Amino acid sequence: MRDLDQRGVPGAFLASTAFVEAAEVQAEALAFPARRCFVPHPIQDRTDAEMVGLAEAAWEEILGNLQAPE
Amino acid sequence: MSTGLVVMDPTGESAPAARTPLPLPASVAGKVVGLLDISKPRGDVFLDHVEGKLKAAGAEVRRYSKPTFTRPAPTALRQQIAEECDLVLEALAD
Amino acid sequence: MSQRYVVVVKADCPTCQLIAPVLEALAPRETVALWSQDDPAFPAVSGVQHDVTLKASFDLGVEIVPALIAFSGEEEVARCEGWERAAWQSILEDPTLGAELPALRPGCASLSVTPPHSERLRAERLAARRVTLGQEEDIQEALFDRGWSDGLPVVPPTPERVARMLEGTSRDPAEVLGDVPPNLVPVTVEKVAINAVLAGCKPEYLPVVLAAVEAALLPPFCMHGLLATTYFSGPMVVVCGPLAKAIGMNSQGNALGQGNRANATIGRALQLVIRNVGGGRPQGVDRATLGNPGKYTFCFAEDGDPKWSNLNEDAGLPRNANSVTLFAADGVQGIVDQKARTPEPLCRSFAEALKVVSHPKMVQAADAFLVVSPEHARVFHDAGWSKEAVTKTLRDYLTRPGQELIRGAGGMEEGLPPALAERSFEKFREGGLRLVRAGGEAGMFSAVIGGWGASGTIGSSPVTHEIRL
Repeated sequence: MRDLDQRGVPGAFLASTAFVEAAEVQAEALAFPARRCFVPHPIQDRTDAEMVGLAEAAWEEILGNLQAPE
Repeated sequence: MSTGLVVMDPTGESAPAARTPLPLPASVAGKVVGLLDISKPRGDVFLDHVEGKLKAAGAEVRRYSKPTFTRPAPTALRQQIAEECDLVLEALAD
Repeated sequence: MSQRYVVVVKADCPTCQLIAPVLEALAPRETVALWSQDDPAFPAVSGVQHDVTLKASFDLGVEIVPALIAFSGEEEVARCEGWERAAWQSILEDPTLGAELPALRPGCASLSVTPPHSERLRAERLAARRVTLGQEEDIQEALFDRGWSDGLPVVPPTPERVARMLEGTSRDPAEVLGDVPPNLVPVTVEKVAINAVLAGCKPEYLPVVLAAVEAALLPPFCMHGLLATTYFSGPMVVVCGPLAKAIGMNSQGNALGQGNRANATIGRALQLVIRNVGGGRPQGVDRATLGNPGKYTFCFAEDGDPKWSNLNEDAGLPRNANSVTLFAADGVQGIVDQKARTPEPLCRSFAEALKVVSHPKMVQAADAFLVVSPEHARVFHDAGWSKEAVTKTLRDYLTRPGQELIRGAGGMEEGLPPALAERSFEKFREGGLRLVRAGGEAGMFSAVIGGWGASGTIGSSPVTHEIRL
C-alpha cells in the first residue's frame, strides 16, 4: 500500500480479523498507517454465498476507505 | 521492542510528524478503482461482489492479481496499477 | 544577597581524590551543593548529590573538575575549575580551607564535556521535533519518502549529527534568522543546521550556510518572487574572503562544477532550507518552466586576484572580510576567446555573449555575472585595467540603438515598443553587471551567468552579506 501511495494511488487493504494486530505492527514498523478494513475470520472455508454476504456487510466501510467522508 | 532511528525534523513542522496516506477523492464516481487480488482462496468471490458495488457507485473497475500471495506485488504490476488507476483496493488477506 | 556554592567532582579524578578532606568539610554546609558525576559514594560523606544525567554539570558549563562556583542569588559571581587553594579559600571566604593540601593541582575533564556524554547532552538540548523512523524502514528510503530530499540521497539528521553541526558556529541554536518563503516559516540556526546535515556539510561550513540563508531572506533578494517565477533562476552563492580557503572551497579548476564537498554542500543546504522549511517545491509554489541544474546546488568561491577588487570590496567591505554574495542565477554560458591579447577585443567578445542574456533584444531586465578566468584576467592585468575599467568598457559596448531593439527588428517579435526606436539603451541596469574572478589556470574561457528577468526594485538584486562565525 505504501508503495502505491508513493506512486500517487491512495487506497486500502482488506484482511480478515486475524490480521488486526499484524497490520498495526506493520504500520508502525514501516511508519505508514495504511487504510485498512477487516472482515470476520475465517475466510478460506466460506461458501460463495457467505463471501458475498461478507462483502455486502463490509461495503460501507470499504467505500469509506476509498472516498473522503462528507 | 526496538524503535527505528530518531532524526531531527528539517521541515517547518507544519505537517504532522507521522506520515499520512494520500487524501481520498470526494467520490469514487468517475474514478478508476483497481482491485488487486492477493490470490488467497475466496478473495476473488469477494472482489467480484465489490466490483459490482463499485460500478453501481459510478466507478470504473480494473482487476489485477499478484502472481503469489507470498511476495509483494512485482514492480511491473505496481507500475501498471499506478498508471491505470486512481484508487486501489488490495484484498483479501487472512 | 545570599551566597551559595556549587561544587562538582568525580571519583575518577586524582585531584578530586586529593581534596577529599576539603569536600568532606564542605558537604554538610547548607550553602553548598556538592555534585558527584560518577559515584555518589564519593566523597564518603552524606549530602552528596549524584549528577547521573550530567545535566547539572552541563547546565553549569563545567569543563574541569573539581569545580567550585559561587552564586549571589541566581547570578554566578566566581568560579574556580581545578584545585587552587588560594582561589577556593577566597571564594568560600575560608582562609584555613585545605591548608594541609598542595597549593595547586590541575583537575580532569568533566564528564559533561567528554564523549559520548557531551554529544548526548548537546543532542538533548535540540528543540526541533524529533521523528522516529519505522524500525523496518530503510533509512535512506524513509528520508526520500518523507519528502526531505531534493531528489538525491540526504544524510540522516540524527540528533548527534545536528549537535555536532552546531559546534561549527558560536551562534545560539535558538536564534531566528528570518521567515522563509513561501510559507514564511521562522527558521532558527538549529533548523538550518539540520538541513546542513542533510546536505552533507561539515560543521565548519555552517557559518557560510547561515550567512547564505540570511542573505536569501534579505528583501532586495526577493526570494519569494524568485521561487514563484516560471523563470529558470535559483540562488547562486559566491563566497569571498579567507574563510573560503580555510574550509577547503574551490575557486579554481572546475569551480562551477562538481567534486568539491564545500562547494557542493553549502549550495545544497540553502536549497534544502528553502524546500524543507519554506515549503518551496517544484510544481507547488516553485513554478519554473525548465529550471536549471544549479537548483541542486550552485556555490563557488571567488579566486583572490591581487590586481582586482574582490566581491567584498565591491560591496564596500574590507578586502579580507568573509562574505557571501547571492545572485538569482540561471545557467552557465561559456565564452571562448583564444585570440584576444588586448582588453578591447576581449571585451567585444564578452559583450557579444552578454548581449543574449534572456533575449538579445531584452534590455534593463536581467542582471548578469561575468566569471572571468585567470587567463582572461591576465589580458586585463597586462594592460593595467581594473575591474571598473572592464565594466565601463563593457557597458559602452552593450549600449545599443533602439532601432535594433524594438519589436520586429531582426525578424523577432520580442523587443521594445516601437516608440522607443530613437533612444539608446544599455543592456543592463545600473549595477546589473557584476564581475568575479574564478577558474583554473589554463583555458581562455570565461562564462556568463544570467539572472532572473526581474531585477532591481521590481525583482531580485544581488546581495553581499557578511559571515558570522
